[in-house]
Amino acid sequence: MTAPLLEVTDLHTHFEARAGTVKSVDGISFHLERGEVLGLVGESGSGKSITGFSLIGLIDRPGRIVQGSIKLEGRELVDLSEGDLRKIRGREISMVFQDPMMTLNPVLTVLDQMTMALRAHERLSDAEARTRCVEALRQVRIVDPEQKVDFYPHQFSGGMRQRVAIAIALLHKPKVVIADEPTTALDVSVQAEILVEVKALVAELGISMIWISHDLATVASISKRIAVMKSGKIVETGPAADVLRAPTHPYTQLLLDALPSRAKPGQLLGAQAGENEAFQANDVKGASEPYPEFVTVKGAVKRFEWKSGFWGRIGERLGIVKPRKAVLAVNDVSLSIARGEALGLVGESGSGKSTLGRMVCGIYRPSEGEIRLAGAPVMLDSQQGRKLTTKVQMIFQDPFASLDPRRTIGQSIAEGPIAHGLTTRADARSYVAKWLEAVSLDPAVADRYPHQFSGGQRQRVAIARALAMRPEVIVCDEPVASLDVSIQAQILNLLLTLRKELGLTLLFISHDLSVVRHLCDRVVVMYRGKIVEEGTTEDIFRTPQDAYTRMLLEAIPRLV
Amino acid sequence: MTATSVTPRSSNGFWAEFLRHPVPVAAAIAVVAIILLAVFAPLIAPQDPYDLASLVLRDARRAPGYIGQGGYIHILGTDSQGRDLFSAILYGLRISLQMGLLAGAIAFTIGALVGSAAAYVGGRFEALVMRLVDLQLSFPAILLAFVVAALLGQGKSQLIVALVFSQYAYFVRTAHGAAAAERNKDYVEAALSVPMSGWFVVTRHILPNALPPLIVVATVQVASAISLEATLSFLGVGLPPTEPSLGMLISTGFQYLLSGRYWISIYPGVALIILILAINIVGDQVRDQLNPRLKK
Repeated sequence: MTAPLLEVTDLHTHFEARAGTVKSVDGISFHLERGEVLGLVGESGSGKSITGFSLIGLIDRPGRIVQGSIKLEGRELVDLSEGDLRKIRGREISMVFQDPMMTLNPVLTVLDQMTMALRAHERLSDAEARTRCVEALRQVRIVDPEQKVDFYPHQFSGGMRQRVAIAIALLHKPKVVIADEPTTALDVSVQAEILVEVKALVAELGISMIWISHDLATVASISKRIAVMKSGKIVETGPAADVLRAPTHPYTQLLLDALPSRAKPGQLLGAQAGENEAFQANDVKGASEPYPEFVTVKGAVKRFEWKSGFWGRIGERLGIVKPRKAVLAVNDVSLSIARGEALGLVGESGSGKSTLGRMVCGIYRPSEGEIRLAGAPVMLDSQQGRKLTTKVQMIFQDPFASLDPRRTIGQSIAEGPIAHGLTTRADARSYVAKWLEAVSLDPAVADRYPHQFSGGQRQRVAIARALAMRPEVIVCDEPVASLDVSIQAQILNLLLTLRKELGLTLLFISHDLSVVRHLCDRVVVMYRGKIVEEGTTEDIFRTPQDAYTRMLLEAIPRLV
Repeated sequence: MTATSVTPRSSNGFWAEFLRHPVPVAAAIAVVAIILLAVFAPLIAPQDPYDLASLVLRDARRAPGYIGQGGYIHILGTDSQGRDLFSAILYGLRISLQMGLLAGAIAFTIGALVGSAAAYVGGRFEALVMRLVDLQLSFPAILLAFVVAALLGQGKSQLIVALVFSQYAYFVRTAHGAAAAERNKDYVEAALSVPMSGWFVVTRHILPNALPPLIVVATVQVASAISLEATLSFLGVGLPPTEPSLGMLISTGFQYLLSGRYWISIYPGVALIILILAINIVGDQVRDQLNPRLKK
């Protein structure tokens, strides 16, 4: 008998919206063998998550499985009643979600949550439940499971929380585990650990798994066979190595071309690659007279202190309340950026890289030390520290949050230049149009509101807003981290082009080493508020000196 | 996948959603009808209740349906001076609405600016303002309004001062909460990093985004300003007798309530109840729609 464990044929999941039917999953077929890990890759909106939800029967109104069949060991799941589905969920098919902070209940201990999951399908005593939970935690290699089982979710780190979520998913030894972007919210080094762990579990327990992700590299590192989804359809499926080496569908090719790790540093990515020759020819243009210490950061320290109020101070005096410790986000950092240089600032979450970026941009005032641009301080050195210069601007990570939802993008772009005399209210329209064109947006969109744009377009607007202030330095705080790969490639191309054309100096903050390698001349690695290594991009990537840098580099999942 | 927030500006979705609920729609129609009745009172009312010459004492205290000297039906009866109650109610609504809307608007403006400025500036200023507000909110609004109105004496502007004084604190607290949440968002940091001035950031970025909860509070507060005004007038510290609001009509009719002439007091009361209830129902619906947490 070679009937596959899970067989999906011609599955359609539609959502009835007021504007019409959205075909989130539009006729997909695939199968999953016993003990196999199937990678499901696609960009946002491709229907990969909805596929996962369809399998486990968690499609809420107005969504509905319109046609098709899902067979688990030959048993049809599509038309099962809610009660029957509940018997299957968790026991035969279980799910691991993206953000463990959202899926674990913050007010229950891990033990309580796991016991609830156990009792959904089994009757067992408290003592039995405890042993089972401890065992399950030990299985996902949580140290000291006997104690940790009584912890609340917030007492675990992000990676540990995701291990707990995996342990819960494995409680009933399900036949199929669906993992929906399980490592996306984690740091690279933690992601690497989880990937190793999951591989070991798959080998050990013979779990069958569907691994949903937008990241080709992680999928390639965990699954033997992958399926690529686009607008509700599977466009290509096959062994991971084959699909990545010789993709047959143009969309897969496009996804691969968009990866900075596969391109030569400094070149345009993806479809625009043909223009590369012309692009490199006018290389010289941006070079104005050299200024090696254009931006200087000297001994910068940022402490976030908790000022105790009146009652807090009395409490501290009496010894009832402990004074809260100051958080040292940036600890004595010095660096300099030459004019026209792109400096990459790399580190994991909590390394202080964003805080440093915000100090360079004049949003935070350093607690100690000073930051200068072309010899002049960026901020007034007083308690109310006002920003003095408009020559440093910032591009934020989340283009959904960094644009005021109640102002048109034209208003958002024009407000700074008008306030600082770069344009007049009367000329604002043409001024805005000019910068919208610079980021390849139609100037006619100036009257629209941010919610009418996609993520990539919004990030272009954010770039136009920063450029409209005619800055010399731009601080980019993870500008592509929240974007799809193909959009990420477009934005990176835009930054590369603009940098050359306008001779911009960049401080590029990122956790993604391949992006930094692609864009930056020099790299600074931060760990716990300090710089651990600094050097040219080539040197850092070829011969990293510091142990932490080496660990970061090794943690990058690789294609093939 | 993408979160689309419902804001009054994306008006299509907002009205379409509003129209799906019959009770709030009926209430909204009632509010609009009452406002129209009040605005066009001089055209609709059969009698000008302020015109003492048109009052005939022989018509005093007549039951609803009585045809008086003027030759028209007093559909809601007449009061102790022979005033047509229907006309008096229309004119009373006028004053009540005027008071409620004016006081609400002034309290709204003060509250929105002070609250969001406190959230933006932070530190001592924020602490001072918010403790003051806390202190004020620990007294019942009616008590504060009563004391201020009694101190200032009778009169329209005096009453508005009293109403604003007892209500602005609700707006400050709401604006502060909403603005504090907006204060740390990226787009505020983006504007500050340009750099834009604090005044610009508060008035153009923070306030517009903090508006939805303020609108909800405003509907509730207008309704409560109307009932506060009626209460104060009933107690005799509100408007002078030359400006008969609903509260005063209820008050003058009160003495006849037990003698069987219920209409002098009851009908103005009914008008007041309908007005406040309708405003509150509309306000509740607006709150439900603007609060994504209550969305199903």
